[in-house]
Amino acid sequence: MPEIDILYIFQGIATLVASDPTIMVGRIVLILLGVAFVYLGAKGILDPLIMIPMGMGMSSVNAAVLYLSPTNMGTIFLNPMTSEPTQLLDILQINFLQPIYTFTFSNGLIACLVFMGIGVITDIGYMMISPMRSMFIALCAELGTLLTFPIAVAMGFTYREAAAVAMVGSADGPMVLFTSLILAKDLFVPITIVAYLYLSLTYAGYPYLIRFLISKKLRGIAMDPKQIPSFTKAEKMIFAVVINTLLCLLLPVAAPLFMSFFLGIVIRESGITPFIDFIAGPVLYGATFFLGLMLGVLCEAATILNPKVVLLLVLGITALLISGIGGIIGGYIVYWTSGGKYNPVIGIAGISCIPTTAKVAQKEARGANKFAVILPWAMGASICGVITSAIIAAIYVTLLRGTP
Amino acid sequence: MEYFLGSVKLMLIVYALAAVISMLAAWVIKLIFAGIRRQRAAEGPATASSQPAGATPEKSS
Repeated sequence: MPEIDILYIFQGIATLVASDPTIMVGRIVLILLGVAFVYLGAKGILDPLIMIPMGMGMSSVNAAVLYLSPTNMGTIFLNPMTSEPTQLLDILQINFLQPIYTFTFSNGLIACLVFMGIGVITDIGYMMISPMRSMFIALCAELGTLLTFPIAVAMGFTYREAAAVAMVGSADGPMVLFTSLILAKDLFVPITIVAYLYLSLTYAGYPYLIRFLISKKLRGIAMDPKQIPSFTKAEKMIFAVVINTLLCLLLPVAAPLFMSFFLGIVIRESGITPFIDFIAGPVLYGATFFLGLMLGVLCEAATILNPKVVLLLVLGITALLISGIGGIIGGYIVYWTSGGKYNPVIGIAGISCIPTTAKVAQKEARGANKFAVILPWAMGASICGVITSAIIAAIYVTLLRGTP
Repeated sequence: MEYFLGSVKLMLIVYALAAVISMLAAWVIKLIFAGIRRQRAAEGPATASSQPAGATPEKSS
């Protein structure tokens, strides 16, 4: 009978004991954090669609570290740092999640699939109620995306890293993923995780910001439903096609995002039920599931234990807070310019976490006045928020892609 | 310091460009909307095929 080394059999424990103390503690903390995410997701405190697969991935990957060779530790989940073609071909046959990472995540496809799904569930008609006002509010709600950029530079980040982390202020998960993959490949895992973590908390945090900055009287302003115009499906398709073409022409670097979003809208309006059901169901939910799982699996202690993570946590919350304040300032400006007929709560919906922020706005307005209906206007601002976020991401990427 | 000031300048440029492009997109929408209204006015009252802005979505990004 061969000599049996118990630790060789239970390699997850063996690697834990043999690791550097920082990595060991990091692995234990991340396992516990993963379990906490699953619990909080299941309780509905955090977004279950992202947090349950993410928590499972995070706890599993940090538990399942083994010896790949006598001196080399790793997992058989995926290796995000491999880019050399021959090595990648070998790894694709070993790491079970590597094909999904390589062919959908690292090239931004998963962000585009989520965008396509969002397009299919978005009615562009809301945007047409008042496009100039909605776009103005969306621009104000990008304040965090802009101001966080120099703040991050002052904290020691490079321009590329600062732009990637500043995109957290757009509150748009796929957009943050897309930008950080291009501009800050080394930091895209912690940046995206910080973004999704905070986005799950927006639903809980923004109502307090609204109540703090807007009086109950103003929160209860009812909007005039007669302002809502009606459009045929063909007209909505024309809007989507023209705006998509214009934005692709101006900012080709974000064309995959623009095309995915507006393609979803066009499919919705085309009425092709099999396509609508496919994109709104398997594509959107499948992409969201694998996005959560990939983010969790990427939270391996050795990858995520970066001294910049604490700064990213501070910058992420700063960006979202400034964007929230900016959106409400935008709402106030439109309220004043409209002679008091516009509910300033709509400002928060300019943050493009569609439709979460629009629902938050409606809930707060309804809380102040049970007859107040502002959801159509809030959805319009949210759709404009998606567009302005994509525009800002494209400008950052275009200007900074070639810089060190 | 120069690096930081450069980031402030870059931020202003990005915001200005984003504002111009966003407002251009909104203006194009208004332009098309005006065209559609003019066409409808020429053709008479809207037919039953017109449809108001739709239902509440279910999924967040």
